[in-house]
Amino acid sequence: MIPERLILFILGGEEFACSLQQIGEVMEPQQSYPFAGAPAHYLGLINFHGNLTALVDLALYLGLKSRPLPGKLLVLDPRLAHLALKVDGVSAIIASDLVTGEEPGDDPLTEAYLETPRGRVRLLQLEALIDELENGLKQPPARI
Amino acid sequence: MDMSQYKSLFLSESREYLKTIADQVVALEQAPAERSAVDALFRGAHSLKGMAASMEYGDVVVVAHSMEDLMARVRDGALCFEAGVADLLLEGVDLIDVMLADVEADRECTPPPGDFAERLRGYTPAPPKKQAPAGEPPAEHPAPQAQPGGEPEKAKEPAGEASGTVRVKTELLDHLINLTGELVTNKHRLLNVAQEVASPALNDAVSETGKLLRALHDEVMKVRLMPFEAICDRFQRSVRSLAKKSGKEINFELSGREIGMDRGMLEQLVDPLNHILRNAVDHGMEESAERAAQGKPPRGTVKLSVSRDRDRISIQVSDDGRGMEPQKMIEAAVAKGVITPEEGALLSPRQALMLSCIPGFSTAKVVTDISGRGVGMDAVNAAIQKLGGTLVIESEPGQGSTFTLRLPMTIAIIHALVVQCGNVKGAVPVTGVLRTVELARHQIETMGKRQMFQLDGEAIPLLSLNRVLGLPLGRFPNGILPLFVTEAKGRRVGIVVDRFLGQHELFVKPFGRPLCKMAGLAGGATLGDGEIVTILDLAGLL
Repeated sequence: MIPERLILFILGGEEFACSLQQIGEVMEPQQSYPFAGAPAHYLGLINFHGNLTALVDLALYLGLKSRPLPGKLLVLDPRLAHLALKVDGVSAIIASDLVTGEEPGDDPLTEAYLETPRGRVRLLQLEALIDELENGLKQPPARI
Repeated sequence: MDMSQYKSLFLSESREYLKTIADQVVALEQAPAERSAVDALFRGAHSLKGMAASMEYGDVVVVAHSMEDLMARVRDGALCFEAGVADLLLEGVDLIDVMLADVEADRECTPPPGDFAERLRGYTPAPPKKQAPAGEPPAEHPAPQAQPGGEPEKAKEPAGEASGTVRVKTELLDHLINLTGELVTNKHRLLNVAQEVASPALNDAVSETGKLLRALHDEVMKVRLMPFEAICDRFQRSVRSLAKKSGKEINFELSGREIGMDRGMLEQLVDPLNHILRNAVDHGMEESAERAAQGKPPRGTVKLSVSRDRDRISIQVSDDGRGMEPQKMIEAAVAKGVITPEEGALLSPRQALMLSCIPGFSTAKVVTDISGRGVGMDAVNAAIQKLGGTLVIESEPGQGSTFTLRLPMTIAIIHALVVQCGNVKGAVPVTGVLRTVELARHQIETMGKRQMFQLDGEAIPLLSLNRVLGLPLGRFPNGILPLFVTEAKGRRVGIVVDRFLGQHELFVKPFGRPLCKMAGLAGGATLGDGEIVTILDLAGLL
């Protein structure tokens, strides 16, 4: 089911979307602090209204061409995760009734491909993304 | 009428009644004639039934009603309170507990087993067994008894608003402590600014604010404190059930149940303490006949005591069982290849006992389904260290063992040593730092593949925190290696870092998803200049 409102963003030249309801805030890039032991797509930690929030380079994680900052940070609703996604830019917020076509996604992170006034966009499944990121961190720490 | 708005109140009150019922059952087993406990049990079941009926949770009503009827027979003298009654009531508590979890999750209630009500209704006491001949162990598996001269627990009922208390959602308390922590962080920022502008007036104001914040923090922490009693019933029931299962006679003594601890910390202590208690009953305690042969009372004693010393909490689990022999621990560790004979020769008795905290280490000859193979003491030690605490094991062969947990009262604000490794800053709770050392390169000795240094006559292995964290190794152009000494797997180790950045008072924030799943991190904190550091969980990392 398509969320009522979608936020559209750009990543490695491609147009993506996710449910606006799952996004707490869109922020300008801010200073992040590196932390040890995490995979390369973790850019560091930021302070989001008192929550220590992991900043992930989404393009790098998805294997797309990552652009250096600036860009935008999509901070997820803290009730969902303490996670911010670095994207290249935010292009629009649209209502679901502007979606004219829908095709099922072809991987666990893609809920669907949508036809919108801005063209074909890939609807991201944020819950699945958080699960994947968590699973990627469950590996034991480096041994001595 | 829409009753959903009352659901959370129903759940919290029902759970308090369940806890009271479980407490009173255990207390009545120790003193079956205690009239006030019988009445409290009856009232508890009756109140639960009434609340469930008003919320239309029919299955809960059925179970509570059966329990109430059984207690009515005890109250009216038609039935003696005995182990069979206790078992049925505790089974009822467990059934309702499951149903409450269903209610909370908006699931359909798990129905009680069809014969539960019937078993309670038709319960008749078992005929008394013949006296066992002298010298033979008792045929029945007795439950733990009260300590000699101990007072039976006074009947208690859940406190309500009538007694001058109010119910506050735990999220609100968490938010309050979060705000207080942010204020503490900002105080440090102000202190930095005050130093930069060199204003005595600003310094005084910030200093005064700091004192007020400390007082505010202490008060907020007090609100979060819950008595240790909140988790006691699980231990009583756990020991009772293990004693019955293993056929051992055990007195379980509990003291300090009124001591207050941070709510979050209490929740994380349940599993470690349960594990230590299970080990004490299963491995530590001898059978009655074996005890008698050694001139010990046939009934063993397991004690769980909690005490407070200023801002530290001490929890001791002790038993008067067979104890542990350090030399046997060393021999077992050498035989399993956990340590070399040379390393074993260097261990003190206390260090040898801590070998039990190495993963996979066990000296138990018999594996039981109660406490497994000693697996888990490593997890126990790691959990305690994660809480900023320490574990000390003392044991006297033939006399028993004592496990002492020393913990901070709160896990929210800690003192930590902040260190630099590569481009990363990390904080190590000072409770995990035995001492800091600045080591000259020439003091490093190479033994086999290991680099060591001498400290107080002991060869201490060196580890690089950079290597552990997967960072480039430090260079140390001046030939001095900063390191801190900590304890890992029962041994002291020197952890080399690039630089010490000083000791800081930090407000620890837990990580949310996804970082909460990352091993080796115990949370994060913000320094006075706004920089974020991660709190390193040494037990998880090493």
